[in-house]
Amino acid sequence: MGRSGKNEPVFMQPAIFITTSVLVGLLFALQEWMSLRHMGYHVHPVIFFECWGFQFLVWGAICWLLWRFFGSQIQRANIQTILTVFLPLSVVISLAQQMLWVLIFPNLPLNHPETSYWRRLSIYIYAELLNNMLIFWCAFLLFRGIGYYQRYREHEDAKSALEVQLANAQLAAMRMQLNPHFLFNAMNSISSLMRSDVEAADDMLEQLSCLLRMSLERGEAQLIALREEIEFTEMYLAMQGRRYAGRVEQTMRVDAELYDALVPSMLLQPIVENAYVHGLSKTEAPGMLVLEGRRNGPQMRLTVTNSGIGLNPRTDRDTNRRGVGLRNIQKRLELHYGGDSHFDITQIDPRHVQVTIVLPLHYPANEIRPVARFGTQ
Amino acid sequence: MIRTVLADDEVLARQKLRQLLTENEDVEIVGECASAREILELVELTTPDLLFIDIRMSDSDGFEIIDALSANANSKRPQVIFVTADDKFAARAFDIHAVDYLLKPFTMERLQVALLRARERLASCIAGANGQSVMREPDRYTTRMVFKSRGRILFLPVSDIRWIEAEENYVRICTATESHLLRETIGRVESRLDPQIFLRVHRSAIVNLHYVREVINEADGDATVMLMSGEKIRMSRSYRSRIRKLISA
Repeated sequence: MGRSGKNEPVFMQPAIFITTSVLVGLLFALQEWMSLRHMGYHVHPVIFFECWGFQFLVWGAICWLLWRFFGSQIQRANIQTILTVFLPLSVVISLAQQMLWVLIFPNLPLNHPETSYWRRLSIYIYAELLNNMLIFWCAFLLFRGIGYYQRYREHEDAKSALEVQLANAQLAAMRMQLNPHFLFNAMNSISSLMRSDVEAADDMLEQLSCLLRMSLERGEAQLIALREEIEFTEMYLAMQGRRYAGRVEQTMRVDAELYDALVPSMLLQPIVENAYVHGLSKTEAPGMLVLEGRRNGPQMRLTVTNSGIGLNPRTDRDTNRRGVGLRNIQKRLELHYGGDSHFDITQIDPRHVQVTIVLPLHYPANEIRPVARFGTQ
Repeated sequence: MIRTVLADDEVLARQKLRQLLTENEDVEIVGECASAREILELVELTTPDLLFIDIRMSDSDGFEIIDALSANANSKRPQVIFVTADDKFAARAFDIHAVDYLLKPFTMERLQVALLRARERLASCIAGANGQSVMREPDRYTTRMVFKSRGRILFLPVSDIRWIEAEENYVRICTATESHLLRETIGRVESRLDPQIFLRVHRSAIVNLHYVREVINEADGDATVMLMSGEKIRMSRSYRSRIRKLISA
């Protein structure tokens, strides 16, 4: 069975593997030659490099073939298979390798001229068989180790893929197109206006349609240009402006360089909605709502300030009471940006509440195409 | 009278149009229809000036009908106002020179704007037929633009634009009542506009000379363009003599 999975380590490519094996052999040759010199023997070094190099070349090839054709069996083998299959196999392969080696080097061992092949073979089997088997079992352990590593990696990959999937699902659930609560309230306002002011009802219905269109147009996109989010919020504000009969002074100041910056969709509308529901609607006095966007180095800072009744120190500071909208925003910011974003709601004075969002400044990779068309007639 | 045909396969949609249009005394509804075949017959029979048409009707596509009407050499194609719930055909409608593109649901106000444009268009057609050429340098400069803004589609005559301001990669197009942010460069917009009417007064501003009240010299040697609506727009020195010439002319 082939082991050419995509997680296969690069050193298992045949050229690399066998070359590495030969290099190990040459190191052994160097070591033996030097230790013999140290003991006073002077032998030509080439013979050491030849025989060690050849031995490890053959072993490299054998081990690579083992990996190629028995890799998965090695990785899956239980103790019974190891004892009944791989132990005998290791003996057979070691013997075969030794036979080949003795055949290739008829002059070895050096001080035994005119010795028969079988005689020389028995000398080497006596001296080297265990070493050879050790090489086999080292390779065996290496292949098992690779198997464990691969399975660990696959497991990790699957786990992170699952996490991404989960995060996306959570985001999709939280990025509600429009708060149904808002939708039904708006319809109720329209229904009420239909009896008193048909044109106002018409206007509001049209505005609501615009909001729905924009929201549908975004589709599943999680991140949109800040300008689109501002347009959406403007339309929402226009509608609220009608509901509150111009009682609220709405101001919007956004740095033009932020228009194309990416923000999570439905980021501002829930905050503005919150400002109306929990602040501006609670007081009869003329109110104000200010939306600001500023660049702050590598970040953008968005604030929504509204007048009203301030925060209730006991309940509103508590995250659970902040309303689903704001909590969703906070969670989505965490999912999108991890620790790089900041969300905060504070009372700047007893009558004013400010929501601050700080996000890393990102721009879309693709150039945004102009949408206007020109014509005559 | 503007002889008008309404085409929509929904009864209630036609009813709404009819009710709103009857408030306009110069509009006469000469027929209503609900299918492609009916439209072609009715238009042939009544030769209307104006056609309100839905794009998606049960048996046909509004554009095919317009094509068929345009191909008919016997009669002149009526002016067309699309009335549809679909916002993705606006550019196509613009290309076939539709007067306007109303998104359902629309308001009375929006319908009035569309009617106003239709009246202008019809008037200029009559003038053209009488041999008085009203077009100056036809096709060189844009006379209207189409774009989306806040979920709406605008077929904006450039004569409605009071001034245009650059904001980074965007331009802000200001009309009497609204402003629209468009992803365009001010240079590109300037090149499409008639320089006899629209003047670049600053690196980041273009004004419609029809709405300029005066040019005020500031103490520091710079100048400000004051619009009739009261807005003040900064002006570069290099443009000052040009605007004087154009205003006095």
